[in-house]
Amino acid sequence: MLATTIEARELSKSFSGPPLFSNLSFSAGTGLVAVAGRNGSGKTTLLKILARLLRPGNGSVRVVEGNRELSGEELRRAVGWAGPDLAFYEDFSARENLRFFRRAAGLTAEDGEIQERLARVGLGDVAGRRVGAYSTGMKQRLRLAFALLLDPPVLLLDEPTAGLDEPGRELLAGVVAERRGTGPVLLASNDVRDFVSPDRIIELGVR
Amino acid sequence: MTAAASASALARIWAVCAKDAAQEARRRVALASVLFFAATALTLVSFAIGPAGFAREESAQLHAALLWVLLFFSTATGLPRAFVREEETGTALALRKVAPGILVLAGKTLFNFFLFLAIAAVTVPGLGILLGWEVTSPWAMAVVLVAAGYGLTVVSTFLSALVARAGQKNVLFVLVCFPLLVPLLLSSIAATVAAAGGTLAGPPLRVILAYDGAATCAAYLLAAAAWEE
Repeated sequence: MLATTIEARELSKSFSGPPLFSNLSFSAGTGLVAVAGRNGSGKTTLLKILARLLRPGNGSVRVVEGNRELSGEELRRAVGWAGPDLAFYEDFSARENLRFFRRAAGLTAEDGEIQERLARVGLGDVAGRRVGAYSTGMKQRLRLAFALLLDPPVLLLDEPTAGLDEPGRELLAGVVAERRGTGPVLLASNDVRDFVSPDRIIELGVR
Repeated sequence: MTAAASASALARIWAVCAKDAAQEARRRVALASVLFFAATALTLVSFAIGPAGFAREESAQLHAALLWVLLFFSTATGLPRAFVREEETGTALALRKVAPGILVLAGKTLFNFFLFLAIAAVTVPGLGILLGWEVTSPWAMAVVLVAAGYGLTVVSTFLSALVARAGQKNVLFVLVCFPLLVPLLLSSIAATVAAAGGTLAGPPLRVILAYDGAATCAAYLLAAAAWEE
């Protein structure tokens, strides 16, 4: 498998005020990148820009596989993202949600495969339950399943431990440990315990 | 685009449409509010005017105008929910992550078009029963409804994406929608008068088809700007 890297070049972003960050450049290959910083320093914004859910004020983001820059659908599928404001259709079950998102992404969505993905995050037994009836921790696990849904080489996790119980934290740590060996994992958190031996730290809000 | 890519795009459009339909089937918010609005308006108009209220020549124009007033306001009640609901419930982010704006727009337009046809299927016979409106050529009426309904749903769905993140979105939707839809509505009324009389009027139908083409092109070109951040 070709190595995938995500590269940020001179990123800047502001929301009608002083910039959250400016001229931020980095390149992340295989390994764990800790995105740290105080509240409001731009961690969530940075990860959304990297996930192409927000446009930067300035600068650009590239995802490169081998020597080839990804674009279009390849790029969309190459970056998995989960964040606190990621929500699901509450009238649908977790299984229906993931099945829909796979199909909307143009991928197959066999019931067995979806069930397996939900079991991997500890939701196998409640896969048919309405997401509206899920607890905060269960929704957080579903967010993790969503981030992994398209099997992306790049993983962006924003506050992934919020609301998780101890088994949930261990599950997440296992996923991060596995994925950091195959591609870049960028993890944003306010809790330094979430960063287990990071290969690199990006500290935001440092002026 | 290759055949496989086209098939995949169609499957993705259908997935979005089917998802909206499944949501609607469970909640029935849009359908209930739209049909309630249509039924209320129809009943009030029938009491105010009645089947014998106007001469035949006058009633042809009046019935066609009433039909499109009902269809416009009914769609203005239900169609903006297409994108607004995604923003309000926070599911827009997940949807943006997996599908480009144009496919989401196409899927939601398809669902809204089915919703429009459901409204028309209630409104046209309703006008016939309550106001004594006679449609001489049902197939010509069907052509007009499908052609004009397509333009109405494309523009309404696109504007829904545009205003979804704005404040006062419902007011904004109607304010922006109305001037954009006036050319379509005027032509639709003219074509409906002709269809009710048994003919398919060429000039207004050409305007409707041209409008449909222009609306499709504009939506295709601007979908990403309207929906994606």
